Amino acid sequence: MNTSVLDLIQQTLIDGDAEAAEAAACSALAAGLDTQAILNEGLMRGADIVGQQFEAGEVFLPQLMFSARALKAALAVITPELERLGAENGTGSRRQGLVVLATIQSDIHDIGKNIVSTLLTTGGFEVIDLGVDVPIKRIISSALESGADIIGCSAMLTTSMPFMGDLIRTLESMGERGRFKVMVGGASVTPEYAARIGADGSAPNAVQALQLARRLMDKA
Amino acid sequence: MDYLEILDRSNTGVYLSEENWDLEKVAMTCMQLVRQYDLKWDRQIPVPDDPALADRIFAAGFELAASIGAYNRSSERVLRFERSELETGLKQMKTSLSMGCAADERVLFPRKIMDTRPPLVWAGNPGAPHPEALFLPAVMSWAQEPIVDLITCGSLAEVDGREVRTGEALEISATRRELTYLHQALARVGRPGMGLLAAQSSVSELGDLAASHPHYLRPCDAHLIPMLNELKIDNRNIARAVNSIEYGMRNGGLYCAIAGGLGGDAPGCAVVSVASIILGNLTNRADYHILHPIHIRHVATSTREVLWVESVVLQAFARNAPAIIVADVYPKSGALTRELLYETAANAIAITVSGGHLEGCGSADGLLPNASGLEVRLMGEVGQAVSRQGVSLEQANRWVLKLLGKYEHVFQLPGGNPGVRFDQAYDLQTLQPLPEWARMYDNVKKELQEIGLKLRIFD
Repeated sequence: MNTSVLDLIQQTLIDGDAEAAEAAACSALAAGLDTQAILNEGLMRGADIVGQQFEAGEVFLPQLMFSARALKAALAVITPELERLGAENGTGSRRQGLVVLATIQSDIHDIGKNIVSTLLTTGGFEVIDLGVDVPIKRIISSALESGADIIGCSAMLTTSMPFMGDLIRTLESMGERGRFKVMVGGASVTPEYAARIGADGSAPNAVQALQLARRLMDKA
Repeated sequence: MDYLEILDRSNTGVYLSEENWDLEKVAMTCMQLVRQYDLKWDRQIPVPDDPALADRIFAAGFELAASIGAYNRSSERVLRFERSELETGLKQMKTSLSMGCAADERVLFPRKIMDTRPPLVWAGNPGAPHPEALFLPAVMSWAQEPIVDLITCGSLAEVDGREVRTGEALEISATRRELTYLHQALARVGRPGMGLLAAQSSVSELGDLAASHPHYLRPCDAHLIPMLNELKIDNRNIARAVNSIEYGMRNGGLYCAIAGGLGGDAPGCAVVSVASIILGNLTNRADYHILHPIHIRHVATSTREVLWVESVVLQAFARNAPAIIVADVYPKSGALTRELLYETAANAIAITVSGGHLEGCGSADGLLPNASGLEVRLMGEVGQAVSRQGVSLEQANRWVLKLLGKYEHVFQLPGGNPGVRFDQAYDLQTLQPLPEWARMYDNVKKELQEIGLKLRIFD
């Protein structure tokens, strides 16, 4: 019984059906299923399947984004219960980590950033996506206010990349660099460039960005 | 349609969040249209010979443009257009566009499928950042090629040793210096009147405005007005377009729909590309169109998906709405690699036979200054041979498949196949390819001749 309900939840993620995911999460809670099982064996497993299909080129960006939307809808249902349980046992409710994500000041390219945002979400991270052309002051204030674990920045344009270095230097001059891991990415961003500006890591694509975020959280 | 109407609709259209535009409008409508019009592709047919398919792609693209319109990201509003407005726009597209001046003037025109009139060759690698010291010799390396008709370039990533930052003061300096170098390059190769697509160092409107002067961008030149992914514009780019209209310069509408992106697989990308051109014709005030689909993982235009999209979109317009379309050649590989030459040839064959003009080469994905005049020469030679020989779509497909077999492995290389920087492929004193690079070119050219391309030698 439980397995079939969890399979159904998984399937709503694979189908990218937000309404069905929300309804399935409600039904599962009402049926008394373990909330962590709903999260890990239902939602996250479904999201993981879609992520693998995307990586293999079997599904495309819309399916990935619809899946992320379905995940968010279901999470909205189970999060209060997760928070209640977290408060009871003192473990808190945060998922894998909180990432503040943005395309850096002066750059308006967002497809790569959006894919990273989606994969991080379906990979278990909480993501605050600030959008494109985001001033570094706003990125930092958002990270400070939300208590983010990771700041993620992307720049496709070479002439926008210097602002990522500015971000790190600003964090340093504010004495806040140690509070966040900073990961950078974008078409022209290399590991050497990331190291030169003092970032904690870079990734050449969205799948590796998710892996990097997980590694950074392990080190945190 | 007057551009004032575009400004009005940008401010009065229906409000919609960007996420809903992406998913509910673009992705959902595109998926439905791909099903409705039964749009499919075959990885073994990167150059399709199926007129009915090309017509359905056009019809689906028109339907997408008519049913959802375009999105202004700045105002978060949707610009809708009546079918009659889109149709009138298509009918009023330019059928002749003069670029450059005096003896170096060239006239762009809509090409047909299997057109025996050669494509114009627009040389350069927009988007590729260049160290200042390499900019002039790199541009000269392709401007000196007799087969080249028009010039474009990468961007200056630094000025006097300082990083250029978008939207800051040095963007102005970089853009003006880029234009100064371009005019120097044209003068030095004795072709001062060549038409330019330039101000590539201007990402924001700053540099563009600073360069709108006859000493820099002349009225006979062009600059880019990109449509953002997917089917989006913003006020900055509208400002660039309006500046160009007021000044009297040409607007090149740039469309980079993503294969594997919001439109889905290659057929959806083709539908988005068609809609982009139909809409960009009005929103971007485009005098001509630049087709540059991108592969979601591999970026390059030489992937099977993008080869197919470029081919079928060019055919769709050639059959249904003749337009001046320049298609980009952005190979995965960089200078001093055989694969760069194979990729360039495959792209040039597919574009030429399908009805496009040629622009490139944005070697090494256009991310590095690893491009040179030699691959541009090959691009032009292949384009001219294909048109001169009256190659069929079927024959072109066979050749492209053979070439894919020679280069497709580069997409599996973890670091790509970037080759070397321009100054490691060319002698900077003589501005000629180094012997190893010249030998590779000769050998690949022989291979192309062996498969049936009758390549001419240009002195």
